[in-house]
Amino acid sequence: MEIFSDNTLMLQVKEGDLDKMGLLFQRHHQALYGFLYRMTGQKEQSEDLVQNVFFRMLKYRHAFAGSGEFKTWMYHVARNALSDHFKRSGKKKSVYELSVVENKVMAEHRSDAMIESRQNRQLLEKAMNSLSNENKELLILCRFQELKYKEVATILNINEGAVKVRVHRALSELKNIYQQLSNK
Amino acid sequence: MAQCDFYQQQMSLFLSGMLNEEETARLNEHLSLCTSCSEEMTSIKALWAELDAITIEEPSAGMQASFNAILKNYKEDIGSRKNIFIKWNTRIKQLWQLQPRLQLAYSLLMVIVGIGMGYYLSNKPNVNESATKDQINSLALQVTDMQRTLMVTLLENPSASERIRAVNYTNEINKADIKIIQALLATLNNDPNVNVRLATLEALTKFAREPNVREGLVQSIQHQESPIVQTAIAELMVKLQEKRSVKPLQQLLNKKDVDELVKAKIKESLHQLI
Repeated sequence: MEIFSDNTLMLQVKEGDLDKMGLLFQRHHQALYGFLYRMTGQKEQSEDLVQNVFFRMLKYRHAFAGSGEFKTWMYHVARNALSDHFKRSGKKKSVYELSVVENKVMAEHRSDAMIESRQNRQLLEKAMNSLSNENKELLILCRFQELKYKEVATILNINEGAVKVRVHRALSELKNIYQQLSNK
Repeated sequence: MAQCDFYQQQMSLFLSGMLNEEETARLNEHLSLCTSCSEEMTSIKALWAELDAITIEEPSAGMQASFNAILKNYKEDIGSRKNIFIKWNTRIKQLWQLQPRLQLAYSLLMVIVGIGMGYYLSNKPNVNESATKDQINSLALQVTDMQRTLMVTLLENPSASERIRAVNYTNEINKADIKIIQALLATLNNDPNVNVRLATLEALTKFAREPNVREGLVQSIQHQESPIVQTAIAELMVKLQEKRSVKPLQQLLNKKDVDELVKAKIKESLHQLI
C-alpha cells in the first residue's frame, strides 16, 4: 500500500473521502494528545479536546488550503480549541494533576533515588506551570512535539527570528524559576 | 560580555534544534574558550534533559475507536442531510409536474388573450369611429329612401285602405323631401276616395311650414268637390292664417254645386282670414 503524505490524505478528505480522516487521526492523535495534556494537565479533557480538534478539521475540511502543512493546520485548530476550552473552564492557567501517575510510580519503586528524582520532577512541573501560557506553549512545542522551528513559527503566527528570541527568553525564565524553587 | 549574551541565546537555540552545523561549530568554539558559558551550557543542558522527566498519562486505548464512531456518525449525518435535500427537491419537482403546469399555462394564455382583447377593444373605436358613423348615416339614408319608395308605390295601390296606410307612412318621415310632397299633393287632388284625401290633407298639415306645401294646398282648393274635404281645407287655412287662400275660397263660394253648409263654413273662414 502506498504511503500518502498528510497533505494528500487531507485533500482527499476535502474532496469527500472522509474515511481518510481516520488515518490522519491514527498518525497524529498521540502527539496532539501530548501537547494538549501538557497544556491542560488533565487526561480526560485532553482526550475530549483531541476528538474535538479532529472533528473540527473534519467539519471545516474545506478550509484546508493545502498550501501549508497539515500538521501546522492541526496545531492551529488545536490552539483555537484550547483557547475555547480555557474560556469555558474560566482558567487562565491549568494545574498539573499528576498525583495519579506519581502514586502509581511510588507504589512500585520505592528508593531514595526515585524519591529524589520525583522531587526534581515535581519542581520542574511547578516551574513549567509558573511560566506564562505563551512561554509554556512555546517550550512544549519546541521540546516535546518534534517540530521544526519553522513549523513552530507558522503555528504561532510569528516569524522565525521572533521564535529564536522567545525560546531563549522562555528557557532562561524556566531555569531561573527552577533554581529558585530548588534553593528553597 | 556582549559576546556571551549572544552565545547564551545560541545555547537555547541549539537545544531546541534551531542551529545549523556552522552555528553549532561556532558555539562549541566559544564554549571551549569561555568557562562561564561552558558551565551555563552544562546547567541548561541538564535542565533541558530533565524536562524529559515530565511524563504524561497515556491516553485511553479507545481513542481511535471513539473517533471512528464520530466519523461514522458524521458521515451518516451528511448522508441523511443530502437525502433530505434530494427528497425535498424531488417533492418540489413532482409538485410542479402534477397539476399546475397545465393550469399555469392556461392561466397565462387567458391573461394574454385578455390583454389582447382589451387592447383591441380600446383601440378599435378610436380608429374606426368616423367610418362607423358614415356607415350608420348611409344606412339611415337607405332606410329613408326605402320608406319613400314604398310610400310612392303604395299610393298607386287600388285599395283605398292601402293608400291610407301609405299616407300614414309619412308620419315617420320627419323631413319631407320634394318627391314625397309632390306625391301627397297629387293624391290630395286626384284620389277618388274621400277618406284617402282627408288622410292626405292631415299628413300635409305636418309639412305646412314648407312654402311649396302651402302653395299646393291653396291651389288644391279649387279642385276639391267633396264637402268634407272642402270644409277641412277651409279650417286648415284659418289655422295656418293663409291669406293667399282668400281668392280660391271666394271662387269656391261662387260655384253653384257647392253645399250650403260648406258655403257657410267658408264664409266663416273667410271672415276670420280677412
